Amino acid sequence: MKNVLFLIFLLVVFFAKSSFALIEIDITRGNLNPLPVAVSPLYVESKSSEALKELEMGSKISKIIETNLLRSGLFNPLEKDSFVQKPDIAHLKPRFEDWKLIKAQALITGKINITDDKLRVEFRLWDVLAAKEIMALAFTTVPDNWRRVAHIITDKIYERLTGEEGYFDTRIIYVSEKGPKNRRIKKLAIMDQDGANTKYLTLGNELVLTPRFNPTNQMVTYMSYFRNLPRVYLLDIETGVQEVVGEFPGMTFAPRFSPDGKKIIMSFAKDGNSDIFTMNLETRVVERITEHPAIDTSPSYSPNGKYICFNSDRSGYQQIYIMRSDGSNVKRITFGQGIYGTPVWSPRGDLIAFTKMYKNRFYIGVMRIDGSGERLLTENYYQEAPSWSPNGRVLIFYRETKSGSQGEGFSATLWSIDLTGYNERLIETLTDASDPSWSSLLSK
Amino acid sequence: MNKSIFLSVIFHIIIISLTAISFPYMIRKPIDLPPIISIELIQISDFTNIPYAPKAKKILEKIKKEKERVISEQAPPKIVKKEKPDAIPLPKDAKKKKKIKTKKQNPKKIESEIKQVSEFEKKELFDPDQIAALIDKSKVETAETMRKSDKLTQSQDKNFIASGLSLSEEDALKAQIFGCWSIPLGLPYNENLLVRIKLKLKTDGTVIKSEILDHARMNTPGQGFYKVLAESALRAIRLCQPLRVPTTGYDRWKDLQLNFDANEMLKG
Amino acid sequence: MVLGNSIRSVLLVIMAAIILSACATKTTKKVGDYEISKISGDTFTGVETVKYLATGVPDRVFFATNKSILTTASRDTLRKQATWLRENKNINVTVEGHCDERGTREYNLALGERRANAAKDYLMTYGISGNRISVISYGKERPVNAGSDLLAWSQNRRSVTVKAN
Repeated sequence: MKNVLFLIFLLVVFFAKSSFALIEIDITRGNLNPLPVAVSPLYVESKSSEALKELEMGSKISKIIETNLLRSGLFNPLEKDSFVQKPDIAHLKPRFEDWKLIKAQALITGKINITDDKLRVEFRLWDVLAAKEIMALAFTTVPDNWRRVAHIITDKIYERLTGEEGYFDTRIIYVSEKGPKNRRIKKLAIMDQDGANTKYLTLGNELVLTPRFNPTNQMVTYMSYFRNLPRVYLLDIETGVQEVVGEFPGMTFAPRFSPDGKKIIMSFAKDGNSDIFTMNLETRVVERITEHPAIDTSPSYSPNGKYICFNSDRSGYQQIYIMRSDGSNVKRITFGQGIYGTPVWSPRGDLIAFTKMYKNRFYIGVMRIDGSGERLLTENYYQEAPSWSPNGRVLIFYRETKSGSQGEGFSATLWSIDLTGYNERLIETLTDASDPSWSSLLSK
Repeated sequence: MNKSIFLSVIFHIIIISLTAISFPYMIRKPIDLPPIISIELIQISDFTNIPYAPKAKKILEKIKKEKERVISEQAPPKIVKKEKPDAIPLPKDAKKKKKIKTKKQNPKKIESEIKQVSEFEKKELFDPDQIAALIDKSKVETAETMRKSDKLTQSQDKNFIASGLSLSEEDALKAQIFGCWSIPLGLPYNENLLVRIKLKLKTDGTVIKSEILDHARMNTPGQGFYKVLAESALRAIRLCQPLRVPTTGYDRWKDLQLNFDANEMLKG
Repeated sequence: MVLGNSIRSVLLVIMAAIILSACATKTTKKVGDYEISKISGDTFTGVETVKYLATGVPDRVFFATNKSILTTASRDTLRKQATWLRENKNINVTVEGHCDERGTREYNLALGERRANAAKDYLMTYGISGNRISVISYGKERPVNAGSDLLAWSQNRRSVTVKAN
């Protein structure tokens, strides 16, 4: 009996020793470096008749893809001089060892072709470490549209590698400013999100402020002092035709579109009181949304159109409120120190971006729609009016500098910052700029 | 009598003017609380984590950035937990310093600090009953109970008791993977960012097979970021081959599970 | 002796009050050899930037930060404007409301409108018909002082009455 027990004991010990626990190791740190990617120049068939044109356009397209990825702050496009493989072979079968050597983790290759006045661009996205292709797409369009092809390709790559929709095939509308600080000449300007293709929509004869796109990016609503009457206007980008919105007997301002594009929501000021109104663009019916002796302004719809966040000083100072889209159920959501303004609802529906003023400094921040989780992203002498990228990840806003006693040294510039507070970036514009607003994805 | 009234008025004027003028000087300065010194408990990892030094610069840069950024009203609950319930209310500066200091520390250290407090309150890990259990039961069972208590902490004590890797062995491996893992910056910071990957290794540290637990989550709508996170973890493992495995005891570590958690880095 | 004591106490109190009242915040700027008190309680009180509708009738009133309340000085100015408007029944005016640059653009448009209406309403209480007074807000778009300091900002927070015909 003792021997049996002893044997059993030995066996138990033996098995206990050999059945080791599965070792678990927690990896809670990594580097927050942008992902190294290699953007290979687009491959051109040497026999092609348009080879020169294709080469030039191909290199421009890959440059735009590179710049877009770099500016997003999430990617690090590697220097082309270090590329070992030629574009043609890389596009067919990359030698992943070569790309691994230069530390690339993703590779983008492509091919460009222009025949019969048609542009065709093909691209492939490769996972260098897994040594396999993870995406391949081709686009056909007119040659003039080559910039948009580059932006759409970037969107696809971005989406595949981050899991989120991109924001590169978009436009930004803003107010271009020039002149002495107390007599600025302002024009509506529109440009690609990377600063290219700037176009002016007004001449600068009257003051224009706060322009916003409609959901299809074909119309713009803004405020103008045309004929010295400050009113909200509607502008068709294609035709250039402008019309006043409604027949209000007083100043209207701070306009935005509803998410379905059917209404314009704005503030109307009369006898010292500003309230929020909407006007249906088809029926022309005007609806009152707020009724309060305090200033109610800067309204912004939630993406599902059911709620509106706005700025009101009914508590004594500017704070942010939420209400249902019919004006009922008004609730204050900001209770922190300082005063809050310019609330704008994220396209994802989960956050509201705002401007905060505290102790003579200006902050851009985000908070949840119930007012909790306030996070301040950046601080400055003066900055305000954030606007969301269509994927709800990036905010664009404007800054003004302190000027001397005669207004010298004054400048207004556009900036963008990632939702996480990283990647604060100056957005280059041809002139001084303010009041930026981001379009939705053009390709949708 | 006139003389005395006159003298009295003069004296009154002098006193009043003295008090009026001296008001600014009499403003009391707030009592300066002694600066809070946070004691950095030196862990063994401090010595074995030397390869981490070049990364430290990046972290320090990040901290400098944090310093410039304004800390929002609602401090993350983590920090609040650290203070004992009857702690002196800290002046704002000390609070900031403490927050930055904790970032500098290896996450392990934060846990140790919490442990210092909780030792007196919770007696989690040094429970004599559990230690008795360790002696009696087989290693496998102990490992399960120990790990279940808190997945996200890096408790050296737990690993030391339960796993087969020594502290320095584990540190070497961790440091290696820390360097290889490029955390995608685009991840939503308020979601569960944990990817668990099981590995089968060869004796030289190369990976024979890798398996993502929670594989189904990769295709769940609304969890697209999980696929991205998982892919980044796989890239890290591939990049880091051959893994820095111990030279002996292959049977101990031939099956390894790496729990990639991006929460700490992204929540900041 | 009792009377002497009470006189002393009264004098004490008066003395204390006089000394303390001198402690109101002031921002002063040297002009030439003498200092002129220009901002009192955050509202501009100087004469720089002020134009005149007629002799002795200043064209503007000033406000404190974020406020549209009329100060005593403002009401005094508006009374003079009202008198002048009563004497010149054929003149119509526009009241322009302005803000300093330290605020969000849209809210400042509304605040300017409120300030302009504060002035208009006061003029109307002195019998000037509302039909003669139109109102426009320029928010922070048309500062009179392009500087970025307290003085400039206080000069920009204003309601200006302008002849419309």
